[in-house]
Amino acid sequence: MTEVHHIQVPLGYLPLLVLIPAAVAAVAVPWLRSRFRKQVVPGSVPDWSIPPLDDGRGGLGTSLIHRWDVRCKIMTMLAYSFAVASLRHLSAAAAAVLISLAVLLAAKVSFHKVVLRVLALAGFLGMLLIVMPLTVPANPGDTLLVFGSLDWLTVNVRGIVLAATIGAKAMAVALLMEPLLATAPLPVTLHGLSRLGIPEMAGQMVLLSYRYLHVFSHEARRMTVGMKARGFEKKTSLDTLRALGNFLGMIFVRSFERTERVFDAMQARGYKGRFPEPGQLQIRMPDILLTGVWIAVGTALVWFDWMKG
Amino acid sequence: MGDMPLFCVQGLAYAYPDGIPALSSVDLEIFSGDRTALVGPNGSGKTTLIKLLSGLLAPKQGHILYKGRPLTENHLEESRLTMGVLFQDPDDQLFGHTVMDDAAFGPRNQGKSREAAVRCARQALHQVNLAHLAYKEPHNLSYGQKKRAALAGILAMQPEVLILDEPTANLDPGQEAVFLDLLKAFDGTLICISHDLIFLYELCEKAVVLHHGSIHHNYTMRELVSRRSALRDHGLDFSFRMAIPASDVPDANGARVHEENGPGPGYTPSCDCAKVRESHSVHPPLACMENYEYVYPDGTPGLQDFSLDIHEGEKTAIVGENGAGKSTLLACLCGLRQGGEDLFFKGTRVTKKQHKALWRRVGLVFQDCADQLFCASVKEEMMFGLRRLGLSSDQCRHRAADALARVGLSGFENRVPLHLSGGERKRLALGCVLAMDPDLLILDEPTAGLDPRGEEQLMAILDTFDKTLLLVSHDLFFIEKLTHRTLVMHQGRIIRDLPTPDFMQDDKLCRFNGRSFSYRRHTATAIRQLQHEHEHPICRKWQRCHFRQMGLERCPGQARSLCNRVLGDALP
Amino acid sequence: MHISDGVLPLAVTIGGYAASAGLATWSARRIHSRDLPKVAVVTSAFFVASLVHIPFGPTSTHLLLPGLAGALLGPAAFVAIGLGLLLQSVLFQFGGITALGANAVMMGVPAVVCGWFFQQFKGRTQARQAIAGGLAGALGTALAAVFLAALLVAGGEDFFGVAKLALAAHVPVIVIEGVISGFTIGFLARVKPVLLQSSFQDAAGPMHD
Repeated sequence: MTEVHHIQVPLGYLPLLVLIPAAVAAVAVPWLRSRFRKQVVPGSVPDWSIPPLDDGRGGLGTSLIHRWDVRCKIMTMLAYSFAVASLRHLSAAAAAVLISLAVLLAAKVSFHKVVLRVLALAGFLGMLLIVMPLTVPANPGDTLLVFGSLDWLTVNVRGIVLAATIGAKAMAVALLMEPLLATAPLPVTLHGLSRLGIPEMAGQMVLLSYRYLHVFSHEARRMTVGMKARGFEKKTSLDTLRALGNFLGMIFVRSFERTERVFDAMQARGYKGRFPEPGQLQIRMPDILLTGVWIAVGTALVWFDWMKG
Repeated sequence: MGDMPLFCVQGLAYAYPDGIPALSSVDLEIFSGDRTALVGPNGSGKTTLIKLLSGLLAPKQGHILYKGRPLTENHLEESRLTMGVLFQDPDDQLFGHTVMDDAAFGPRNQGKSREAAVRCARQALHQVNLAHLAYKEPHNLSYGQKKRAALAGILAMQPEVLILDEPTANLDPGQEAVFLDLLKAFDGTLICISHDLIFLYELCEKAVVLHHGSIHHNYTMRELVSRRSALRDHGLDFSFRMAIPASDVPDANGARVHEENGPGPGYTPSCDCAKVRESHSVHPPLACMENYEYVYPDGTPGLQDFSLDIHEGEKTAIVGENGAGKSTLLACLCGLRQGGEDLFFKGTRVTKKQHKALWRRVGLVFQDCADQLFCASVKEEMMFGLRRLGLSSDQCRHRAADALARVGLSGFENRVPLHLSGGERKRLALGCVLAMDPDLLILDEPTAGLDPRGEEQLMAILDTFDKTLLLVSHDLFFIEKLTHRTLVMHQGRIIRDLPTPDFMQDDKLCRFNGRSFSYRRHTATAIRQLQHEHEHPICRKWQRCHFRQMGLERCPGQARSLCNRVLGDALP
Repeated sequence: MHISDGVLPLAVTIGGYAASAGLATWSARRIHSRDLPKVAVVTSAFFVASLVHIPFGPTSTHLLLPGLAGALLGPAAFVAIGLGLLLQSVLFQFGGITALGANAVMMGVPAVVCGWFFQQFKGRTQARQAIAGGLAGALGTALAAVFLAALLVAGGEDFFGVAKLALAAHVPVIVIEGVISGFTIGFLARVKPVLLQSSFQDAAGPMHD
């Protein structure tokens, strides 16, 4: 096991192994993305007069994850994410993906949001999957695929495994984000963070940014329409860049002006540098139990990874 | 305490950080329970004054006493909790994650417990009829709902003073009526900025006129509206908005243009229509949609089974409640959205490729100029669209200069659009579109945010426009003046297609536009009567007793016609 | 480009968190505490701006904006960028949650450097401000690319190829970003020069009462 293995693959396999999968991914990802963005939430209009996740009977949500104390949830999931990110073997990473899928099913979160998250990863991971097999240096013990007489095109199998491992780890963590975030209202999650020692203002800033993200993206969309209505079309040209420069400048001018107005509105309603606390949190026995079980699973994963050398 | 003013302003002056004076030597007293209208042209310092009154700005000179003490430190903090300020743009005010979070923000700052705050918030939301949306995120609300949610955030604090900046701007008439009722039901002190004197007349008893940063008049509302000369001096004459017989307009620029150009379209629809109708048989319609469908990317239907034809030279209005699909229609007509295949322009089908070139034929002026103006100078702004038409630079310059002259902005070439006043910006946006010489001009809510003088100037420009016009507006007076055909939209369809005068008299229309339209009619009539009385004091006494004899006091419509008759008889 | 979960070694991710926590504290101290909500609102504008697609030949790219953020926000840029990245990661899964600290360092440090650079060299004339803005924009992206490559290389020899490719891919972005930043700053210099004085600094914060 000290030398590099070369496996000759007929040239005809090159499209089969590399080009076709790449093409399929390049078409499928944007298609899926647009499809899942379009999809509206089916069923009846939600009742907005009661807090979200409150089923009206006083209980929060339906799953175990929904009832989990938000501080325990954040701590556990973050620690677990770091554990997953430190894995080195494909089998351990694949096991992590399976665990995440199980959590996903247990948490009963919106499926199409999860798909959108996974699709968002596609760009970076796709790049790794294409680049790493070609660029990973050939260490002793590696297996290289050589296509016909193309000497310069050698695919290192270790690179494929490495990229796949990274992909699996990223996927395992990404799949957990939806159960982490969608099982409690965002303000509660952030309040949990502040109770864990993150300054409370940080959480409030996230909420404010989130709120005005929507306002500004509407503004930007309307401005884009305004430009298009006067014949603007994006091209690779200096003219386009100048117009976009103005466009960005205008977004900033409007946002700074709005910032002042928002701040005025906050002050007018008695803001004195602190936001009111959103409510009480309580840790109960089951919360700790779930945390314990989860941490144990994470430890087992890491131990399994270590055992493989 | 009884006769001490709630607000006492003395010798107040304020300048912006860049040194431009905003207010100078303002003296004002506002008593508890007063309902005061703050009026004045754009840029007269109204918003600055309410910021000073609410302690958001500190005076540079003079002082403001609230409940007898200056607004500083502890007193400021306490006072803020008893004042509610409603800003113009509800998005500035709704910073909470949900409507409930936002409404509870004020009460929480007042020191209430979470439960008590939520109770207050819920009650306020109930008042503005939003209790069913309490936990929705603000960005998923419609404009009218946002506006009401912002008001709820203030009402939840149970304020003693309500300070409102343009509370009804951009609202459809139905929503406006809801707002008027809510504000009328408020029993504390009220200070309200608006350009809409008819609305203010309904709401307020007192009127303070600001001009160039100082107070010019401090009247009762009745006095203000009855003095047209004063209104005109301050650019506030909104009388052109009231249906005035042409002979009765002494000096209104807009109206004079009207007369010089022959009968305005609003008054003689029958003959204009006839001309247009005649040509229908010869020419195909300029724009035509047949069973057009548009579905939003998320699957909600936008336009359904939509048929529309606009003929060359026709002036058409589109009305309908917020969310009726008007904006979607405009976007489809401009080629910004692409629905079904059945859009025809001058008789030929607009193919998918041509959709992208529709901007050459259709000009759109947006509701909010800020969405349309983004260059660093007026000249660049004008050139932005012109250059894309493929004209020579000489032609571009020529057309830009022409258009600027048309909208009264010659000499503004090197000014920065962002620094212009609201009215100038609106005219610039219109100029940019006119310069491109579109076959079809579309105006989306052109009067939003304009002061009466700005409206009048805009009206004068539009009156000379001789091509095809499509006007989307809630402003029925504008519709009446500018168009001769009105389409009523509802849930993505056209449910009525009438000549404008018929539409104006249609009773069902009132149901569609809320009571607001009828109250406006009545109020306008009442104001006209006041103005008559003021201008012709000799007949006032006589009139009054006549009305009283006839039991007409409560019937403004009849009173008006009678008044006209009487005046016609009494005066040469 | 944001690094996703699972790429960086554990030590680097934790080190990234530690470094960005320190820098965020430093940055937040430079802001008047009452102005923090304003920074939050402005952050969302940068977020929206970074989603704008710029055509580049047959494909398109989006802006990173560390240079512009630095020029407009000064030291507050680090807080703003950290916040923006957190939102991107949490809402859209652009950039992993474990790599958040490293991503914040990668984008935030260039921003602060560019902010300093811009304030030093902006001069008084509009043309000079536009040029300084353009250079700051290009510099910001270039530095971010270097940080990205360095972080990837920390993963070992296996990542050298990826790092080289990342560097190469950033070259056109650096040019585009520089030109757009120049135009944006030029626009602001003419329209609203106040914004070029790095807002939210403790001393400059508006004091109303």
